[in-house]
Order: sequence, then C-alpha cells, then structure tokens
Amino acid sequence: MTARGTKSQKNKPADSTKEKRGRGQNRASAPLLLGSWFLPGFGHWRLGKKRRAGVFAAVIFCAFVTGVFLHGEIGTPKPESPFSWLAAFACLGNGVLAIARLVWLNGLGGLLSGFPFALQGGGSPSAAGFAYGNTFLYTAGLMNLLAVLDVSDIARGEKD
Amino acid sequence: MDHLLLMIWHALLVSVFFAFLWRSTAVGRRNLFLKTFLIMVVGAAALGWLMFPFP
Repeated sequence: MTARGTKSQKNKPADSTKEKRGRGQNRASAPLLLGSWFLPGFGHWRLGKKRRAGVFAAVIFCAFVTGVFLHGEIGTPKPESPFSWLAAFACLGNGVLAIARLVWLNGLGGLLSGFPFALQGGGSPSAAGFAYGNTFLYTAGLMNLLAVLDVSDIARGEKD
Repeated sequence: MDHLLLMIWHALLVSVFFAFLWRSTAVGRRNLFLKTFLIMVVGAAALGWLMFPFP
C-alpha cells in the first residue's frame, strides 16, 4: 500500500507537467490569427468571446476614426527615415481599417503600384490635431496587435 | 478640439481595452478600468503642473 501510494505520488507531478507542456505546444491556426488582424474582434468572436470581441472592435474603430478626423497620417515606410517603418507597422496593425484608408487616399491602382515607398498616408502636418491624430492611429493599431496575441493565447488554451 | 478632452477620450479607450484584455470578471474589469483611467488622467494633469515652471 505504501509502495502504491508512493508510485501514484511520483506519477502525479510528471503527468501534470506533461499536460502543461501539451497545452503550451498547441498552436493557434494561421487563418484565425490573420482574420483577427484583418478584422478587429473577429478572432475573439470565433472563439466565443463575443462581448470582448464587440468591445475590442468598438474601441479600435473609435480610436481609428478619431485619428482620421484629427488629420492623422497613416504611417507609410520611407527609405530615408527608419522610424517611419515603426509607424507603418503600428498603423498596419489596424487591418482592414488601414487598408481601406490607404485605398481611399491612393486608389486601388495607386496602392498596388505605389507599394511600399510611394504611398500617400494622408493627414495634414499643419493641422492642430496632426500629432494627436497620429497617436490615436498608432494606438488603435497596436491595440489590435495585442488583441491578436490574446486570440493566440486563448486558442492555445493558455488563457480563458 | 480641446486637448484635455482628447486626452480623456484617449485614456478612456485605452483603459476600456486593457480592462477587457487583462481581466475576465466584471468587478476586476471595473477596478482595472478605474485604476488605469485615473492614473492616466490625473497623472497627466499632475505632470503638466510639474512642468509648468520650466521654459
């Protein structure tokens, strides 16, 4: 009895470690993550987190629209300015919102032919709200990228 | 547009986002929202006052 008890005690931590490792090795599917990036809130919606999806979509949309109305510029990469790549990364985090804005400003033909260095990001540097608008646009994109990471965690079973 | 209103609007959006990202219960979300929102708004106002004497 003592030996059996010892054996089961020995097995318990090993099993739970194996279980933990198994959970960590699960991978979120690429279409889910891409969809989550493209359409804010989509990933959470697919995973059944509908309330969170609605809130994330609303927050990101509101921040993006505020940025556009304040004459903010969608970041586009410029060869002479390394920091513009960071701005472009943050703005592209907005997914369909950023792409729609770029199509609005450049047209579909201009978007395809001017990619990536000849794109117009809009905005008006002389406007009073230009810097604020940029901040809202960057924040919206980065929040959406954080939401994509959250979708990955939920899909892998690391988080509820 | 009023700069203070823009700052409050920005703090509101970010606080709501992080409350829903990091907490899963209603009480936890409310507490985190209030904490982050107040830290951002009151902190920014306090920093503004502290910077006032500097050119």
